[in-house]
Amino acid sequence: MIRVPSQKPWSLVHSLALLALFLGLTTPASAFPIFARKYHTSCVTCHTVYPKLNPFGEAFRLNGYRMPQETEEQIKQRAVSLGSEAYKRVWPDAVWPNELPGNAPLAVNVKMASVYNSATDASGGKTVVHNDFQFPQEVNLFAAGTLGEHMSFMAELTHAEGPDGGSGTEIEHARLGFESLFGPEHAFNIRVGKFAPNLYAGFQEMWLMTDNGVDSLFNYNPVTFKGGPVNFADSAGIVSLPARVRGVEVYGVLNHRFFYTFGVSNKIGPGSGVSTNTFDASTSGTAGNFGANNHKDVYLRFDYKFGGMGLDGDTEGVTLPPENWREKSFRIGLLGLKGNGTGIDFTATDVNGAISAPDENPYHMQDTSYTRAGLFASWTYSDLNLFGVYLNGKDTLELRSADNLTLYSSEDRTYKAFFVQADYVIAPPFQVSLRYEKLSPGDTSVEPVKTMNINFTYLAAANLKFMLEYNKSDQAGANGFGTNKSINTVLRAAF
Amino acid sequence: MSKIILLTALGLGTALSAQAGDLHGKVACKGVRDSANAVVYIVAVPGKTFTPPKEHAVVDQKNLVFIPHVLPVQVGTTVDFKNDDAVLHNVFSPDACCSRFNLGTWPQGQSRSYTFANECQATLLCKVHPEMEGFVVACPTPYYAVTKPDGSYEIKNVPDGQFTVKVWHPKLKGTQKAVKVAGNTEAGFEIAR
Repeated sequence: MIRVPSQKPWSLVHSLALLALFLGLTTPASAFPIFARKYHTSCVTCHTVYPKLNPFGEAFRLNGYRMPQETEEQIKQRAVSLGSEAYKRVWPDAVWPNELPGNAPLAVNVKMASVYNSATDASGGKTVVHNDFQFPQEVNLFAAGTLGEHMSFMAELTHAEGPDGGSGTEIEHARLGFESLFGPEHAFNIRVGKFAPNLYAGFQEMWLMTDNGVDSLFNYNPVTFKGGPVNFADSAGIVSLPARVRGVEVYGVLNHRFFYTFGVSNKIGPGSGVSTNTFDASTSGTAGNFGANNHKDVYLRFDYKFGGMGLDGDTEGVTLPPENWREKSFRIGLLGLKGNGTGIDFTATDVNGAISAPDENPYHMQDTSYTRAGLFASWTYSDLNLFGVYLNGKDTLELRSADNLTLYSSEDRTYKAFFVQADYVIAPPFQVSLRYEKLSPGDTSVEPVKTMNINFTYLAAANLKFMLEYNKSDQAGANGFGTNKSINTVLRAAF
Repeated sequence: MSKIILLTALGLGTALSAQAGDLHGKVACKGVRDSANAVVYIVAVPGKTFTPPKEHAVVDQKNLVFIPHVLPVQVGTTVDFKNDDAVLHNVFSPDACCSRFNLGTWPQGQSRSYTFANECQATLLCKVHPEMEGFVVACPTPYYAVTKPDGSYEIKNVPDGQFTVKVWHPKLKGTQKAVKVAGNTEAGFEIAR
C-alpha cells in the first residue's frame, strides 16, 4: 500500500510527504481474498481484522500460504498440473513437475479515506484541512498463491491518489518463496525478491490493524549530521529502517516455537530510482529506501513463542478456545540489521536545511556504518494483544565536500525508538487499538518525537471494514515542528 | 455305519472348503478429496496358483486423461493402451517392477500393449503430456477391486479362508491386514499420508 498519511503540512516536510503520497511511503495492505477463494473460507480464518493475522494466519503465512498439515480436501480450487507427481522420479530426463493456481490468483483492496488534519509548523503557523475526501486513497492489486508443494509467490501493485489529485503506481511486492526445501518441514525456507522482511514480523504495517504504521521505526529519518532534522518527517528514506527490502531471506520454524530469519538485502539508501548515488529530494522515499552501491545489509532475528498455537500451526498438547484470535502466549524476539552506506551521498542538513560549503554547494554526508538492534515482544491474553519493539540505532556519519573529495569530519550518532501497542477485540466486529511511539533522534539537540495513535475498527463484514483513527505527533523544543493531529475515517474492502 | 458318517463328514468338509463369498467393505482415505482409486487385493491363496487371463485389459487415453485412472489386473495380464485422442500419445513407466517400459508414440485409433509379468504398482506417464498420470496395479491373485468415491469395494467369489489383504493408493500410504473370509465378509480399512 502506498501510504497516504494524514496530510502533514510541516513546512518543507509537507512537500516530501506529498511526494511520498505518490512514490512510496509504502504500507502493504496484505489481505488476500485469493486464499478465501482457494479454500472457500472466510478472511477471519486468518485475520483478527485484516491485515492483522491471528495465530493460524501467521502459521499460514510462514508455511508459504499453506494450511498447517494441509490436505487435498481443504483445497477447493484444484490446481492446474504442470506435470504428474511421478515426474519427480523421471528428473532430469524431464522437467520437474509443478502446479499453477486453478484460477487467476488475483485480489483487490480498495481504500477510501476522509482525512481531517491539523498541523503546526516550526514557526507556529497552523494548517487545517477538513474532510478531504481521498476517494480512493489507494487501490491494491494482489497476486499470491502456491506453485506446487514447495513454491509460493506474492506480488502487489498499488495505485495511490494524493489529496491534490496526483497519483502514483508502484510494484510494492514481487517475491518468490521456496518452502521446506530440505530438512524437517518448516525448517528451511527462502524468499527472493522485494518484500517485507520477516525481520519485522508482527509489527511492519503489513501486519497491523491500524491505518497508520509505526512511523518512529520506519518513516522518520533518525539521524542527521548536525543541528536538526529537515527531513525529520513522516517520510521514508534516508536511513530509517527499510520497511521492505530487495533481497534474499532464509527463515524457518524449528520445534514449532523457535523462529529464525536472516537475510541479505540491498542496503539502506535514499530511495530507488537514484542512479547517481546522490541524494535528491525529488526521489526520496520512492519504492522504499534502497541504496544502489555494492554493499549489502545483513539482518537477522530470533524469536521464541511460549504458549498458544505453534508458529507452524502445531496445536499438539495445547488447548485453544474456539475464538481463533484468543490464546495465552508470549513471543519474544531479538532483531538486528547491519550495513555500510559508503558511496551513498546524502545531503548534509541542519535545522536550517542543507549545510552548504562557501561555494554554496551542499556538503555530502555518507553513513559509512550503521547497526540497528532491537527487542520485540508480543503478549496475547485472551482478547488483548500487547506488543512492541525497542530499537537502538548507531550510525557513523562522514561529512564530505560537495565534490566528495575531502573528508571534513566523522561523527557517531545513536538513536533510540520504541513503540508499544495494545489491540483489543471487544467483539469480533468491534476492535480497538492504542499505540504510543517515541523516537529520540541521533542529534541530541533535537527533541524526541512522541506519537499517539488510537484506532476503532468496525468489521462490517469479513472483507469490509470501517476505521476511525486518531493520530497525534508532538515534537517540542526550538527545533521541533510542533504538533500534527489527524483523524482519518477509512473504509476498506477486500475482494 | 461309521464309514457312511465318515464319508458324509468328508463330503461336507469338501463342500464347506469350496464355499465362497464376497469380500466387501470401505476404505477410508484420509487427506484426499474422495476415497476412490484405492486397490484392495488378496495377496495369496495358500496352495493355489492362478493362470493369467487371456483377455487383454484396456487403458484408454482420451481427452488427455488415462481411463481408468487406476486399473488393477492379475499378474501376467496384457494391457492394451489405446489412443482415442486426435493427438499423439506415449505411455511409459518409471517403475522398475515393470522394467521401466516405454511404448513409444502412436496416433489416434492405434494401441500398444504391455504384459505385466510381476506384481507391480506401475505409474503410467505420457511424455507428450506431462500432466497425464495413471496406474496399473498388477495383483498376485484374481481377487482385487478398486474403491468407488465413497470408498466402497467388493471382491466377488473369494474362497473362505484366512488371507492377507492389502490396500494400495496412488497418493496415500498403503496398509494390510489379515482377514478371515467366511461367506460374505466385511472388512474396512483406513489409510492416510
